[in-house]
Amino acid sequence: MLVWLALAALDNPLSAAESCSDCHPVALAAPHAELACQACHAPDQATAHAQGGPGAAEACVGCHAEMAGIFQHDMATRAPERAFVAASFGQHDAQFFNRNCQGCHVSSCRDCHGSGHQVRRPDTATCLACHKGGAVGWDYLGRAPREDSLRYQRGPKAQGEHYLTMRPDVHAEAGLSCADCHSKRSLLTGRKSSHSCVDCHQPDPKIIEHSIAQHLEKLECYACHSAWSPQEYGSFYLQMIDSPARDYFYVRQNPRSDTIKSAYLKLQQEPPLGWNQRGRLSPMRPFIGYFSRIVAGEPEGEENRLVTASWQAFFPHTIRRGTAMCEGCHANPRRFLHEPPQERVYRPDLDGLKLESFWNQTGQQLRNGRFLNQDELAALESKSPAYIKAYIQKWQSFIQHVAP
Amino acid sequence: MKTVNLIGLALGLLLLLVGCDQPQVSRCESCHAGLELASPSHLDCVACHAGDATTDDKKLAHRSMLGPRNPSEPASWEKSCGSCHQDQLTRVKTTLMTTNRGMLHNIMATWEGPQEQAFSAQPVIGFDADGQPLELTGIGSVDHLSAELYRKFCALCHVGLASKEVYAASHAAGCAACHFPYNEVATYQGDDPTVRGKWGYSASHQMAILPDNQVCARCHNRSGRIALSYEGLNDGNNGLVPSRDGLPGPEMISGARNITQITPDIHHQKGLECIDCHTAREIMGDGFSYRNMYQQTEVRCEDCHGSGQQAPQTVAITRENDPVLRESRNYPRAYPLGSEMVQTSKGRNFSNLARVAGQVQLQGKRDGELHLSKVITGTPEHQIVGHERLACSSCHSQSVAQCYGCHTQYDRSALGEDFILGRKTPGQFSETEDIRQLYPFPLALDQRGEIAPVTPGCQTFVTVLDEAGQPEQQETISRYRGKRQLRFAPFFGHSVGAKALRCESCHGDPRFLGFGQQVARLDGSLEPLVRCECNPDNPLDGFLRLDQGQLTAPAAVTRENSRPLQAAEIKKIWQVNLCLICHRDPKDVIYQQKLDFTRLDAGLAGAGGTR
Repeated sequence: MLVWLALAALDNPLSAAESCSDCHPVALAAPHAELACQACHAPDQATAHAQGGPGAAEACVGCHAEMAGIFQHDMATRAPERAFVAASFGQHDAQFFNRNCQGCHVSSCRDCHGSGHQVRRPDTATCLACHKGGAVGWDYLGRAPREDSLRYQRGPKAQGEHYLTMRPDVHAEAGLSCADCHSKRSLLTGRKSSHSCVDCHQPDPKIIEHSIAQHLEKLECYACHSAWSPQEYGSFYLQMIDSPARDYFYVRQNPRSDTIKSAYLKLQQEPPLGWNQRGRLSPMRPFIGYFSRIVAGEPEGEENRLVTASWQAFFPHTIRRGTAMCEGCHANPRRFLHEPPQERVYRPDLDGLKLESFWNQTGQQLRNGRFLNQDELAALESKSPAYIKAYIQKWQSFIQHVAP
Repeated sequence: MKTVNLIGLALGLLLLLVGCDQPQVSRCESCHAGLELASPSHLDCVACHAGDATTDDKKLAHRSMLGPRNPSEPASWEKSCGSCHQDQLTRVKTTLMTTNRGMLHNIMATWEGPQEQAFSAQPVIGFDADGQPLELTGIGSVDHLSAELYRKFCALCHVGLASKEVYAASHAAGCAACHFPYNEVATYQGDDPTVRGKWGYSASHQMAILPDNQVCARCHNRSGRIALSYEGLNDGNNGLVPSRDGLPGPEMISGARNITQITPDIHHQKGLECIDCHTAREIMGDGFSYRNMYQQTEVRCEDCHGSGQQAPQTVAITRENDPVLRESRNYPRAYPLGSEMVQTSKGRNFSNLARVAGQVQLQGKRDGELHLSKVITGTPEHQIVGHERLACSSCHSQSVAQCYGCHTQYDRSALGEDFILGRKTPGQFSETEDIRQLYPFPLALDQRGEIAPVTPGCQTFVTVLDEAGQPEQQETISRYRGKRQLRFAPFFGHSVGAKALRCESCHGDPRFLGFGQQVARLDGSLEPLVRCECNPDNPLDGFLRLDQGQLTAPAAVTRENSRPLQAAEIKKIWQVNLCLICHRDPKDVIYQQKLDFTRLDAGLAGAGGTR
């Protein structure tokens, strides 16, 4: 890139008689091995050099017209993220998105396909360059984010960040890549994936949980089979202007931004559940965000403003064959944000975080669905004869394996 | 005339020897005006500090002082505090907080250190728990990584050593460590202008006869961090948020850690302080040197609350030299002869717990508040057949601090302060960590053979860098009981709740039995989810594995007699679920009798089959 910029600055000193390869000994690989430079780059040297670099998106789309739609995809426009930030952090810092959310977006075919001279199919590592940290992606390979403190920064690293080693998704263990379920076509057509669970798997009715009609009607497969999910409770954004206290926060420093990031609590446990837009119980993840603006060491406006306490139904990529036992849902009100007040361990209310509990619905919302209400929880926890029967069968069948 | 003079001289000498009154000629206050009186009974500067009180010359006056800042430090405590309080000093010399014998014993056992001898921070002679003379070897002379770990990491918290550089975790040496407390920044803030603002002094010259919780928290804020948990404080993630006034927050303590709030112990909520449960004997020692803290500790939940079968025991004070009479003189309400004092687990009197009008009544030692203890003896939920071995803390802990993955690096290329040797020597320790957890917490058999909470203790992975900074040993798990394995230790988390956990929590959630986070498979496997980096099939957050019905324990539970639960025990625990699903009340009469498996099977056939 630097070389290109330098050459561009020389104001096209090459004569028309010279060919590109005199200066650019580029090896082209299949499927583009037979192409002339001009097929992708501008036809004349002056324009090619003036562009300052090869492989502008338009060049690819010239042949692959059907792919142009990818630049209207959320990965390129980031429309949902923009809308979310505009309604939350943007209310407190108009430049929040521009300052803090520039790390991940698709702007060129090369972002996923590598150098145009040697294009390749994106592999899982390609996707994980962006789909990392607490987002779905890292979890597929069994990586969980670590706490935002130097003390926890250890162990293996990926994309420049240390991670905690969790059990990966069973599909990752079997060698499936992201693209095996998320085809290019599914991305282009705006679908989340090209395959759903039941395209490959039919629930076996001999399995006790599968024999329960309500389970099949009301649950996403991944409500039970997502073994864990990374969960961040209390995401703090501190805009520090002329404030030396910034240096205390060693870990999440974004050099391009005046805002630093830290977290109150990170867990990597069974995900809480709520109703998604399909009306099925689905894992959901919290975004409980706080904003502070600190100028010359003093808070400007309210410190630790609660900007959003919203959850999102999603599909953690931590599929295992095994699941929790019945108690994991039927005796676990915390999982549905119905934690009894007397069973609280963490007390964000006492630290001024304006929530009685992270696992209490009051003051929180599920953006793409709704939380389980009291009646639905009562139904879930009621011990009907059918439940008792299945429960006993389940435990008996599990216990019988245990060798004394 | 001569005789009269002689008598006068003799009387004068006698008075000097008795030394009760302030010498007429003391010049100390001419400089130290405003200095707080240590206590109403500690009036004479020289009696504690020595020095020459008769001169106005500062150098001459101070030259022969003990300490000189702190006469109670071990080098001079015989001559200062010990000259009057010989009993207490003898006990303190071999108490665990002075010797750190228990800490050293456990470090040696888990860091492959020498284990034949009994070690102490400093060499000391005393008596073993069985009354036999005992010589404790000073750890300063031991050349082993384990000993160095203690000297460079742990030693700062022993009572014999002063520290002033650690925010909210500094203390004086000797008796003053507890009785002349430092503030957060170890700076005197009293009324003596010659000392005010000076660093490395107690906050005041007024003696804390009965130390408050802050004194305990100066040391007990790491590792088990019980002084934090008890008050509902958590240093869990050190993310330093929410900020306070533009600075890391909400509260900061030593080691750039921030503390956030969790539900405190019920006893803290009721106003009890550390010393209200912990007796002077367990803190200052009882004259015997114990190998482990649990042997020195004498308070148990049952002492106040009774067990399922036995109510709290009391004995009337009949002797005038009973320590209760002396100790309780410092409480707002002293106990007279004849008081019915509650007994500790060692059969000795609590000095602030008596049976009054048939009820167990605790007196706050500092505030004199009276608290009635709820006795649970005879209640059905505390007489469940099968729960005989269950420690109170298994059901009544709200949280237990658990630190998973303690990655310790020893770097030979850097210098580290050896607190025992008092100088920097080659080799510097540093630590990183994997995850914290408060709830759920695993249970296992403790040293008493009771089922009780355990916590990682310790999951040490050791890396050694050579003089060139190159790894000569990487992420090694040390040998314990002849095998490279991680370890858990029985631990009372000091986060007691009035309400017990629900039955299905322990019986239905395998995390409570030590499997860590996992998912259950149809073939009788529990698949661990948080992986040990060294052995990815093993849980980092557990000590048990179940693979196709086969139970194995890849990690150990430390302390003698301790172990994870065995397959037959776990099977029984899970079988209870078959009852619990219908009989949800722990007071249910069926739990008062032994389980009849024949009847159970018949019943289940009905419930699970054709009903």
